[in-house]
Amino acid sequence: MANEDNNNRNLGRNGKSSLGRRTFLGAAGAGAVTTTLAGCLGGVGGDDDDGIFKIGHLAPTGMAMGVGSERSAEIAVDEVGKVRDQEIELISENTETDPGGTSEIVERMIVEDNVDLLVGTFSSEVTQRITGTIADEDVPFIITGSADQSTMANTTGDDYEHNKNIFRTGPINSELQAEAMADYAEFLSDEHGWNTFGHLSEEAAWTKSFQELLPDELRSRGFDVPYDDTVSLSTDNYTSILDDLESEGVDAVLRFFASGGQGKLLKPWITNRYPFAVEGTHVASMNPEFWGQTEGICQYETTAQSGGGGVTDITDKTMDFVETYQDEYGDDGAPTKPMYMGFNTYDAIHFYSEVAEEAGTINYNDDLDDIVEAMHSVEYTGAAAEISLYGEDSDYPNDAKETRTDGKISNYPVTQWQPNEDDEGGHQELVYPAANSSGDHIAPPWM
Amino acid sequence: MSSETGRSSGIASRISGAAGRAGGAALDRLTTVTGPINRVLQPLANVYNRLIGGYFGEMNGLQFVLVVGTLVGLLTAPFWGNYALIQAMIAASIWAILAMGWDIQSGYTGYISFGHSVLSGGAGYTTAMLIHNVNPELPMLVTIPVSVLAALGIGLLIALPSLRLSGPYFSLITFVAVLIFYRMMNPLSEYTGGETGLAGVEKIFDITEPVQSYYLFLLPMLAVAVALLIVARSNIGLILLAIRENESAVEAAGINATKFKIWSFMLSSIPMGIGGVLLAHRFGGVDPGSFIVVDNSIEMIAMAVVGGMGSILGPLGGAFFIILMEDIVLHAFGLDAQLRWAILWIIVLLILVFARQGLFRKLWYGLERLGGDRR
Amino acid sequence: MLDQILSVLLLGAVVSAIYALVAIGFTMIFGVGGVLNLAHGGLIMFGAYAYVVLTSSSVVGAIAVPPAAGFVIAVIATALASYALYAGLVRYIEDNVVITFLSTVMVALLLTNLIHYRFGANPQGTPSVLSGSLHLEGFGTRIGYMYILGFVLSWITIGLLWYYVTQTDEGRSILATSMSERGAQLTGVNLLSVKSRTWLIAGAFAGIAGVILGTVEPTTPQMWLNPLANAFIIVVIGGIGSIKGSVVAAYLIGYLQQFTTEFIGQGYVGIPSLIVLVAVLLLLPEGLYGREFAHE
Repeated sequence: MANEDNNNRNLGRNGKSSLGRRTFLGAAGAGAVTTTLAGCLGGVGGDDDDGIFKIGHLAPTGMAMGVGSERSAEIAVDEVGKVRDQEIELISENTETDPGGTSEIVERMIVEDNVDLLVGTFSSEVTQRITGTIADEDVPFIITGSADQSTMANTTGDDYEHNKNIFRTGPINSELQAEAMADYAEFLSDEHGWNTFGHLSEEAAWTKSFQELLPDELRSRGFDVPYDDTVSLSTDNYTSILDDLESEGVDAVLRFFASGGQGKLLKPWITNRYPFAVEGTHVASMNPEFWGQTEGICQYETTAQSGGGGVTDITDKTMDFVETYQDEYGDDGAPTKPMYMGFNTYDAIHFYSEVAEEAGTINYNDDLDDIVEAMHSVEYTGAAAEISLYGEDSDYPNDAKETRTDGKISNYPVTQWQPNEDDEGGHQELVYPAANSSGDHIAPPWM
Repeated sequence: MSSETGRSSGIASRISGAAGRAGGAALDRLTTVTGPINRVLQPLANVYNRLIGGYFGEMNGLQFVLVVGTLVGLLTAPFWGNYALIQAMIAASIWAILAMGWDIQSGYTGYISFGHSVLSGGAGYTTAMLIHNVNPELPMLVTIPVSVLAALGIGLLIALPSLRLSGPYFSLITFVAVLIFYRMMNPLSEYTGGETGLAGVEKIFDITEPVQSYYLFLLPMLAVAVALLIVARSNIGLILLAIRENESAVEAAGINATKFKIWSFMLSSIPMGIGGVLLAHRFGGVDPGSFIVVDNSIEMIAMAVVGGMGSILGPLGGAFFIILMEDIVLHAFGLDAQLRWAILWIIVLLILVFARQGLFRKLWYGLERLGGDRR
Repeated sequence: MLDQILSVLLLGAVVSAIYALVAIGFTMIFGVGGVLNLAHGGLIMFGAYAYVVLTSSSVVGAIAVPPAAGFVIAVIATALASYALYAGLVRYIEDNVVITFLSTVMVALLLTNLIHYRFGANPQGTPSVLSGSLHLEGFGTRIGYMYILGFVLSWITIGLLWYYVTQTDEGRSILATSMSERGAQLTGVNLLSVKSRTWLIAGAFAGIAGVILGTVEPTTPQMWLNPLANAFIIVVIGGIGSIKGSVVAAYLIGYLQQFTTEFIGQGYVGIPSLIVLVAVLLLLPEGLYGREFAHE
């Protein structure tokens, strides 16, 4: 528009003054920029040694599991007190099981907070997304939540030298869990004479090992596995699955649910009294509040969980830890017990403090090899299990070792929900392994 | 079904009409102050107007300051921002590319696509799958063009059958496209990594050199913005707008609307591909939850609408607004994650209801009005 | 083999009945106002949680009504919530399709976050209105009584709705509005009243579906995602705005899914529905019983 403002006439003749104005503005702008340079990015890649031992804790604290882990981390930090004469600071963030968001959190923890140790992560997607950055920066990272075997296979199993700062102190990985589950099936067979099992896994990365290994393991021990299937996370109606299991005549179904399940299987199972037991791993069932939340539809189902749900002593530290947890957080809402990730996080922090003593250093920038060596040499009795790690040349480098008693994997406890004697509510009993058990495994009475 | 061009009706229009008049009156009073400021700045704006105003549209002094100020702010952010802000602005740059890409197609033609996350996801996954399945050493010079081409290909695949259908059915097909892609993840998990996705993509964000890395995301975003603006202001953009307003009239004028609709989809596939590639390289991997899920499409739409559909710069602003709200502002209150999200959605809802033309459009017109002295 | 077929027939019937409930509400709102109400899923969740709060003393200690009463109250509450959504929000923005759609998404997300905040992500147990199940030995399957109740209720409500919409003037005005808004106005139909009633009815349907779903499956803040996705597919296949279409398509999809589960495998459940959906969109975009997408 030619005459859109009345300054047209001025543009030509006042070129100089407008230039002048422009220069003035330019100078003012430059001045503004330079003064704000004072507030530049200080501390990026700054001082590594600030005299405080910082632990970065990553867990989905919007879920009970994450809250339990966070609280356990705090208890561990209190108990450990100091690491290499440095005060400990715990920085805990909510991953929201979001890989991108957690990546950003990890970046900040490493660069801005100068963490000396990272602990946690529950979901496999998150773990997989952050291990790249963590391996690049050499910060020691102890996984305490996701059990997926491929997490280590893709890192330490692939390029050990680059990924040697990544560890897992618990739970035992999914391949070992598959073997342990077969051991448990033998226990059930001894107890109740069950020889026919079904296998049902949710479609998820962590169940791949069960899908690939469990049915054959069971068959190699002389059991029948007439039902073997996966179920998608979006399935809501389990009735046909239950019908199939019944028609195949299974004595028990070994099911593996983390995000799935959640009672979608249990509700029809218990309402219709299907004549088989529900065993395996069910993360939702680990929640101490599960009975109350589901109004008891979980009775007689079992789940494996690190720490055995805090029901009874697995090591001499188990119940001490559980009691400390209940004293501190018993009134603060769910979860009223640490849950499996809490046990592992608690043990991991204690484990690392021993490692730091053994290695004589926490400086991962200069002395990572000393730290790694100590991670392999230290053996520590935690609240959930005895912890020691596989070495560089093993099948599962830097991964938690299973403990064996009489050839069977014994750091894989199984709990069962049983009704209280007064018929008001229910509680968890540790039913396996027999050496630690607090009660007998009960078959559903309608079988 | 009432008109889709956004004219209010009934009580809504009376309320917003009254509010608008009151606000307008206030603005007019302010022009005694802002008018002179505008006149002072106008010469600067006119230099711009003379030089390149033809490509991008003309501005008055206040608008000019807004644009230049924002540009300066973006370019200098590493010098006045902290680490978390840089991370957020990188994320915002990527999402801005995605939102702008969506806008040139859906905002301009009015054919709302829910499937754009398939385009960006497809590009990201192509990069990751090439690295994972073909050769981990493939250079970015190879993977990036291939991935963008993949996005184009997917775009063509979706556009051809669906654009001959009218509005809602087109939207439904794009929605289904996302569902289908998502469903394909698990059965093909050997190649796609299933629901944990794939890793191993080279990260272009160096965590100890955030300043350099920042520009690797900002500059492509600005380039995309400029390119899309040129297209939007060109005749093509006009035709797309006309299609939104009255497709039959366009056809009656002898222009093949379907051809242009497909063109717009192709055009938008390119920034979607670029955005997807940048996202994959930011964190070093892909997973269905961050790339494919329909939630991502909805986020892009929300960003574009909040900023102002059909204006390219609106979605850019919308992306920055939502991400900065999400990552920076709401975190400052230390609330539970669920409450933070709830508040974000309430804010977006309020904007949708009371500023449906988009925040930045309102701002733009507001500045125009504050300039006083109408043409 | 026979018992497999029979179990598919029976389970398919009860599952489809619930899908029909959800789809009908969705299609009515879409047909009458042209509104893609994605908060419909949120209403399902609302109904389920309302039922939980009313009947389970573990949540709000003071209230604990018997399940049957809780059912009725929850349904009424959901219907009112749906009406409030229309009267308080959608009414002002329904002229703009994109804004309305996005706003309902925001409402759904908002509701989910708030419920997640208040109740946590863990599943809530719900007492059944009818517990136990029917064991059909001959057919090798069991059907929970709640499923049967859902089936019966579904058909009763569909029947009532059909009667209302075809035999009463009020109901016919709803049909008229979904065919042509302007035409309805010209014959003296009060649009506001019609739309309010539509939303109220749709809300009631969502409430019933919510309570039943919440009883047969655990109640979580994410419970509405699958039902809504299925409803979406069903409505498109059946035809937007057509009640008959929704019912037919619901049974089609329900049986398709059961068939897939039983004979093909769990992992492939969602795929045939998607194939049918794509086929319908490409070949018969208006759906089985839908009307041509008519402009004003």
